Amino acid sequence: MISFSKPAKYIFIGKITLRSQLAYVVDFVIRSLFLLLILYIFMQLWQTTFAGEGTTAINGYTFKQMMWYLVFTESMVLATPSLCTRIEEEVKSGDVAFKLIRPVSFLAFHYVEYMSEVAIRFVINLLLGSTIAFLMVGSLPVGAGLAWLPLMAFGGFTVNFMLGMLVALSAFWVEETRGLEFVYNKILFTVGGMLMPLELFPDKLQQIGHWLPFQTIVYFPARTAVGMHHGEIAGMLAVQWLWAALIGLVVWFAYRKGVRKLNVNGG
Amino acid sequence: MRSIQVEQLEKVFQVKKKQAGLTGSLKALFKPQFTDKAAVEGITFSVEQGETVAFLGPNGAGKSTTIKMLTGILHPSSGTAEVLGCCPWTERSKLAYRIGSVFGQKSQLWYHLPPLDTFELMSRIYELRRNDYTERRDSLIERFELGPYLHTPVRKLSLGERMRCEIAASLLHRPQALFLDEPTIGLDAVVKQRIRELIVEMNREEGTTIFLTSHDAGDVEKLCDRAIVINHGGIVFDGQVEFMKQQFLTHKTVQLVLENDPGQLSLDGVAVLTRSGSRLTLSVDTGHTTIESVMSALMSSHRIVDMTVQDPPMEDIISRMYGTFRAKEAVM
Repeated sequence: MISFSKPAKYIFIGKITLRSQLAYVVDFVIRSLFLLLILYIFMQLWQTTFAGEGTTAINGYTFKQMMWYLVFTESMVLATPSLCTRIEEEVKSGDVAFKLIRPVSFLAFHYVEYMSEVAIRFVINLLLGSTIAFLMVGSLPVGAGLAWLPLMAFGGFTVNFMLGMLVALSAFWVEETRGLEFVYNKILFTVGGMLMPLELFPDKLQQIGHWLPFQTIVYFPARTAVGMHHGEIAGMLAVQWLWAALIGLVVWFAYRKGVRKLNVNGG
Repeated sequence: MRSIQVEQLEKVFQVKKKQAGLTGSLKALFKPQFTDKAAVEGITFSVEQGETVAFLGPNGAGKSTTIKMLTGILHPSSGTAEVLGCCPWTERSKLAYRIGSVFGQKSQLWYHLPPLDTFELMSRIYELRRNDYTERRDSLIERFELGPYLHTPVRKLSLGERMRCEIAASLLHRPQALFLDEPTIGLDAVVKQRIRELIVEMNREEGTTIFLTSHDAGDVEKLCDRAIVINHGGIVFDGQVEFMKQQFLTHKTVQLVLENDPGQLSLDGVAVLTRSGSRLTLSVDTGHTTIESVMSALMSSHRIVDMTVQDPPMEDIISRMYGTFRAKEAVM
């Protein structure tokens, strides 16, 4: 009976998620209107800062780059669905058990679902965010960096999925995962470089940030897209996928342990 | 051929013990205490391929724990089980291709998409050959009369329509055994009837083993030949549904139309349920007396115009059965 290869299975799951998510397009557009507010506030903030400094660039970033940097990081962060809400719901309601009856990998299923959802949201956010930024501060100097964005964002979302999944899987042991997710999101805002590039941080914090996986999620793709440090692209990709693999391994172990707990104690 | 074989299957859960109040909660946080709770205690049974079995028991009797063990989700504390020749918990993914499941309270259909898309997804998940799939899908669509809903998003379907799609989706990969958990919950009488017919049809034509849990007496009566009843983790009855009826059927209902108002009726083992003039409904305790002796007693003093003897509905039998368990527990 077997004729479809396993990857085909997951490609189809991705396709069906994409179609299902189209039902929420209006919702996404409304959500991404939030970008308007954020970009406006930061525009005021950076304008004042740049005026105060009296320079055209701060730590290598021009005002325009800074604004476009924000477009990319915000578009990414706003594109990520809450894995915690989803997994916690599944674990609590026992749905996770019923997923196990089907011949499909739980983690791969969620990864594909997450990635296709993110893809559609990211594109919407990016379109809207770019339009707003274009109207507010003018076009981004198109450079080679932008071409790397899809690949970088792909890696960034993968790391984000792994970390998000790790937090979400704690639902097997603790009742409530929202608290952890809240902390995780705040880390992403700060040392993850969502609000501003890591270069702007004090030295100590910068060093810490460089040793953590959070920089690979939105900071790497956004700084590449605004045309910074092209020489480091290969290195950044390597670091990104190293983290993805490493955290992926931890996720896999956590999942195995969680399932065993479910197997033994019914979750 | 054996479809399901279970021997001395046992499942003991560790349950956290919590005392009432804040101090109790704090204590449990730092020094959790566990007690063992046996959900399933050494049950043994076997089901032949193509059998239709109702798995019954009051809430908390261990039904879903058993189903979870048979589908490989839960690992038992001890004992063995074999489903279609596989050990469910060590060969779960292999078994997954050969069993189907319908959970009345959980949907496997994609909410925003038409059922056809979920069917398509199932065909990929179960790695079906293209031709096999389209052929199978079309025959299920025809049989379950799904034509009109195929392109409607699931969220817009009625519960009955959705349930038919759910069952069809779980049959696409031609499972040899189908686990149904409350498949008719919340449905109206007509739809229930239709769904039962469809399941029976599948069983007859394809020899699919049906393993069903339900609180609906009609499901048991119309769908299943055999019943296994568990209570407190142990099997209390295993046999033909017909036989179960007889065993727990301690009363019969007699409807009578007499020529004249009989006045006061006092017969041993007979209770008058309703009466209006010469029309009477009696409940006869067959453990105490026989229908025959009641009839002859009545005929000796009254003229009978019309009479019907009925078994009480399955509903009553099941509630009486559960009631018997409780009464026994009270004595113990």
